Amino acid sequence: MSSVAEIDITKTLQVQVQLPLGLLGFERIKTYSLVTKPDQEPFLWLAVPEGEDLAFLMVPPNLMLPDYAPELSDEDADFLEIRNPNDALVLNIVTLKSDGSATVNLKGPVVINRHTMIGKQLVLSQQDCAIKHPIRTS
Amino acid sequence: MLILSRKTGESVIIDGRIVVKIIRTDGDTVRVGIEAPSSIPVHRQEVYEEIQRANREAATRAPHGQIPPLLGPQGKSLLASKPSLPSKPSDAILSAAPSDFSPAANQKHSRTV
Repeated sequence: MSSVAEIDITKTLQVQVQLPLGLLGFERIKTYSLVTKPDQEPFLWLAVPEGEDLAFLMVPPNLMLPDYAPELSDEDADFLEIRNPNDALVLNIVTLKSDGSATVNLKGPVVINRHTMIGKQLVLSQQDCAIKHPIRTS
Repeated sequence: MLILSRKTGESVIIDGRIVVKIIRTDGDTVRVGIEAPSSIPVHRQEVYEEIQRANREAATRAPHGQIPPLLGPQGKSLLASKPSLPSKPSDAILSAAPSDFSPAANQKHSRTV
């Protein structure tokens, strides 16, 4: 069996996510689908299910940056009802440039409560978090 | 624009639920404390605008809810960087916790911007 034949697009995984405050600049849009495709891992999409032709490419940061440690304020923890780190799914938005380079936004991670699937784009006050952190591509 | 004079320690209340307090001044720097419900996001304007710009730049067209294939030169080189990553990331995404996620020691419902 060739490896190509093993890619089964029916295994696409889709979960609804609510962002009650929206993404910055997209405050109006509050309902998204988190879509993973086996052939696109570890990247996944935060897509608007209907109405808008819009999706954001996301990546879990700790696969690439083990030292990345976003700080969750008490009020954000309350808002998201996150009681311990295991409740939180952290994803960062990837920007693909036309020149083939890619960056990841470490300053504004999207943090989602795994149980409620309610999330929020945080704005970190940590100085060492770049908005356009380069992703090394080959 | 409404312009008010306030002394250190004095506040302004907006809409009966947002309190903006002058904490202290030091030369041309003013420290401001803001109390607002958690449903009202408060950001430094320049940081807000920078992230808003980054979000708009990252926004990808996905006609009819179809997920764009990660193809083309950009997507291919991005996926080519995968060998350094764990073999089954989706498992990690859906089950593993970010181990270094640390709640800040901010005072509850009170922000100093």
